[in-house]
Amino acid sequence: MRSDTYTIVFTTIVTVVLGLGLSVTADSLRERQSINEELDIKKNILSVLGFSLSSEWENDKIQSLYEQNINELIVDKTGSILGPIESSNSDKYTIYQSRENDKVTGYAIPIAGKGLWGTMYGYFAIEPDAETVKGITFYRHKETPGLGAEVDKEWFQSNFVGKKLIDTNGSLVSVEVVKGYVSSTDPKAMHKVDGISGATITGKGLTTFLKNDLQKYEPYLSKVRKLNQIESL
Amino acid sequence: MGENPISIHVLGICSALAITTKIDTAVVMTIAVVAVLSISNVVISFLRNNIPNKVRIIIQMSVIASLVIIADQVLKAYMYDMSKLLGVFLGLIITNCIVLGRAEAYAMQNSPSKALLDGMGNGLGYGSILIAVAFFRELFGFGSIYGAQVITNQIYLGGYENNGLMILSPGAFFILGLIVWAHRAYTGTSDKH
Repeated sequence: MRSDTYTIVFTTIVTVVLGLGLSVTADSLRERQSINEELDIKKNILSVLGFSLSSEWENDKIQSLYEQNINELIVDKTGSILGPIESSNSDKYTIYQSRENDKVTGYAIPIAGKGLWGTMYGYFAIEPDAETVKGITFYRHKETPGLGAEVDKEWFQSNFVGKKLIDTNGSLVSVEVVKGYVSSTDPKAMHKVDGISGATITGKGLTTFLKNDLQKYEPYLSKVRKLNQIESL
Repeated sequence: MGENPISIHVLGICSALAITTKIDTAVVMTIAVVAVLSISNVVISFLRNNIPNKVRIIIQMSVIASLVIIADQVLKAYMYDMSKLLGVFLGLIITNCIVLGRAEAYAMQNSPSKALLDGMGNGLGYGSILIAVAFFRELFGFGSIYGAQVITNQIYLGGYENNGLMILSPGAFFILGLIVWAHRAYTGTSDKH
């Protein structure tokens, strides 16, 4: 049996050595990791806005595609676009506008909120008409693989495409993830998508934070809708 | 062969269920487990004569946890997409009984070189089952092997459908059960020893 002092000293040395090893590793890899994360976010924004990406693409190619086509706008809660100087106040939201040949092809907004196990982060894309869903994607979440993590899957995400965010009166209703399947006779089917079986809480969470996030952007989006109407007259 | 951690000792089942929907994730997981298990075995074997008996489990856990975090960080830096797929399960190598089990049962009593071989052997034994399970799950669940589609559109048009059960955890249980059965029947192992 060894003395207590020996135990304490030994444990301290091991802890310090391991701690040092960990910090050195974390620190030396941090730069690469943050590049990966940023790139992953850009990839998500591009793909939710309908750009098809190839997994073999080099990082530079994604970077340049992003810079050429995506326009980052900052809007406040009244829906006006802020310049880079004014954007220091707190109620500002970023919106990603995609353009091709000087025509707007869609808007993407960041969405985030509670799922079952933690916060889910993703992007939600809207057509230039500011009322039809263009797509949805998630880049970080802690949902159960096979259940809640199905939000990453094509079948779930593609159900959102073409759904309407506003009703016939022009007020925001968002899109709801239902439990089970959306019945085709439901008059509100255009605002609903099929749920994931076994992941009711994930679906409910998604419904809630999607609506919350859309509400923040509604002042801006309704302005876009009005402008579209004037233009079409 | 007679000492496979999954099929004989039934250890490490949790991760065996979670990350075996596709072969590529299973392969990366195998590499991570082999690396962590070998290095932790060697480190603990080096320290074995100095580790105070009272705190040996804590010391073993700290070594293993540090190695797992390093593996996770490396994966995030160099294989970002893969680290997203493995998600929390890479971190759960820490709680994988195989790693602590080998540290306690083998590395504490044997020389570093033997511990290294033991770590590699157990890691590969674990990995071989993972890959075997993943092979069947990917084949029947997605119709592909290592990402390459083997079940052609014509077969799908003929009425064949991917088996959704294979993608979910119960599918892994069935396959794992069959593998354990087959392996034990072959080696003649039973729990009555």
